[in-house]
Amino acid sequence: MMLDHLNEQPLNPTRVVLLGAGGFIGCALGSVLEGAGVEVLPMGSADLDLSTAGAAGRLAAILQPHDAVVMLAALTPDKMRGPEAFFANLRMAENLCGALERVTPAHVVYMSSDAVYPMDTGLISETSCAQPDDLYGTMHLTREMLVRSATEAPVALLRSTLVYGAEDTHNSYGPNRLRRMAHKDGKITLFGEGEETRDHILIDDVATLLMRVLQHRSRGTLNLATGRSISYAELARKVAALFQQPVEIVGTSRQNPITHRHFDVTAIHKAFPTFRFTPLDEGLATAHAGMLR
Amino acid sequence: MSRPLVGFAGMTHLGINSAVAAADWGFETVCFDPDAGIVSELESGKPAMVEPGLPELLRQNRERMTFTTEPMELSRCDVVYISSDVPTDDQGESELSGIRALVDTVTEALGPHAVLVILCQVPPGFTRALALPQERLYYQVETLIFGRAVERAMHPEQFVVGCAAPEQALPPAYGTFLSSFGCPVVPMGYESAELTKIGINCCLVASLTVANTLAELCERVGADWGEMAPALKLDRRIGPHAYLAPGLGLGGGNLERDLATVCRLADAHGSDAGVVRAWLNNSSHRRDWALRALHRGVLAENPRAVIGVLGLAYKENTRSTKNSPSLALIAELQPWRLRVHDPAVPASVAVHPNATECASPLEVARGADALVIMTPWPAFRHLQAHDLARSMTGRTVIDPYHVLNGSAVTAAGLDYFTLGAPPMQGRPQSYPYDA
Repeated sequence: MMLDHLNEQPLNPTRVVLLGAGGFIGCALGSVLEGAGVEVLPMGSADLDLSTAGAAGRLAAILQPHDAVVMLAALTPDKMRGPEAFFANLRMAENLCGALERVTPAHVVYMSSDAVYPMDTGLISETSCAQPDDLYGTMHLTREMLVRSATEAPVALLRSTLVYGAEDTHNSYGPNRLRRMAHKDGKITLFGEGEETRDHILIDDVATLLMRVLQHRSRGTLNLATGRSISYAELARKVAALFQQPVEIVGTSRQNPITHRHFDVTAIHKAFPTFRFTPLDEGLATAHAGMLR
Repeated sequence: MSRPLVGFAGMTHLGINSAVAAADWGFETVCFDPDAGIVSELESGKPAMVEPGLPELLRQNRERMTFTTEPMELSRCDVVYISSDVPTDDQGESELSGIRALVDTVTEALGPHAVLVILCQVPPGFTRALALPQERLYYQVETLIFGRAVERAMHPEQFVVGCAAPEQALPPAYGTFLSSFGCPVVPMGYESAELTKIGINCCLVASLTVANTLAELCERVGADWGEMAPALKLDRRIGPHAYLAPGLGLGGGNLERDLATVCRLADAHGSDAGVVRAWLNNSSHRRDWALRALHRGVLAENPRAVIGVLGLAYKENTRSTKNSPSLALIAELQPWRLRVHDPAVPASVAVHPNATECASPLEVARGADALVIMTPWPAFRHLQAHDLARSMTGRTVIDPYHVLNGSAVTAAGLDYFTLGAPPMQGRPQSYPYDA
């Protein structure tokens, strides 16, 4: 289902329960919400470990019917991989759903991933078939279905492409890792010659879009991507250009086939017509300045 | 035999254009519609629909045409066509109850030897299921094109006729009528004929989707579909009349109706319709081309932009706005101020809080940051690029259908976006235009 708005005019939520508040996106969204004067209940894994027994009850005791719940908590592949991570992530969703079955909040936002789409999708839109290639994508698709079926509340499913920004806690293959390589070694090492194209979205844009989804109490599915993909080789050149000292860009022998990702972002234009993506050059410069600080 | 009297039940676009063609070929016609307003308009020679040549032919053949709200007038006819357009719902599915009711009405009036012909867009199986004597019941494929309906009705390439017994000769009255048009008559079983109509449209959509798919690639890789299409048409396997003009998806609704029918039947009968769904997806994607172009070219940088929109009808030479790409675009431009003009459609059909109706195409350009030509009306071709450049505040011209000369537009200093070619940047001007 494409995104639609239950609030035609933006209206701040009464309170936002932020699950995964200590993560990269959680911190950014928390700042935006607080800046807008929205009451936030930030929940990190230290406050409530959603993967443990009894978490559903503890969360249900906290939830209020007027709350918006934002689910960002997940074990990402850089932290843990394989079946263990898969089942731990599903336990988190199981406990979230257990709480949602007891208390119906005003709105649920689930942060998913573009990993739900197979790599051979071509141009991706919200109507593309979600048929994941790996356990991580399968986990997100399963969690989407669990959350949707657990609650009567309007649910927004946001499938994000690669997110970058200075405060990134992950080190996946993207602007953040390339920048760190350049900063640490004066050298960026690419897979193959960096032929793959990907879409990279700035954390500030993700937080802004999340805020708009909350304000409009949107429901349905939306891909969070800019609609402008770039090869890793080109990305490396852009990152290297941010450094005063020369940065070497090195290719390696290719181990995997070249894949590409492109997004049709018409749904974002329709859902949030006045939203403007930060151009990649501007975003990279912002992230770079943040890292140097 | 003497020339048969031919009746047409349902004076929608399909009915009136078919009837006026019959009259122009010298046949007396009885034109029935239960709507007194429609009948009155036609009697006065002023049809509500826009169709080139229709008012003139109505005037020329007025003596041979009887317009009536009384179904019993059809009892005199040798052949009666059920000729009403079939409406579709949001999913492209036909709403057939009106046609069934019309068939019932006409059947009660039908003479004992008269032939009934279903001319509407019906799914396979519809005609055979009607409770009428099959030796007097036929289905005939219609190939109406909005904006070219008179021409198509006057000079069809062929008549595809669905019959209960295709090996038998057509009834004399019906055969006489069809043969007078001088084109092949191709009889076949009811279901074959009904599916032939859908098959024709599927082939058209396949060609259009090829054009749309490769046009998008052209926009990315520096190729020009305008250069390529003529070469494709010279290939005998493709042909000079192939539908190779890229567009903003499939407009109008009739093509989508047939694709929806194929999907529904394929699902019900267990055959593969994956490619048809791919056509529909491509249509949906390409419909929003202008919106994406606007966001890239203007809206991302100018949140207060004024957008000029030329054309509201779903295509030129018609008043129809069903599935109009222009209206779909306007619906997504709510935060911006619009200036709008269409030669036949009032701006009031556009659902927008801040749309100003302009009296002329050039007036639309006045003060606009971007101009979007969403319907290729012939009148828009007369716009001069230097006039646009003088009138517009911004520099962006989005012309999906290539109504204007792109080179002239860029020579006037405007940026030009069209389907099937890379964006063209306006050449710097050696003298300032007045804004």
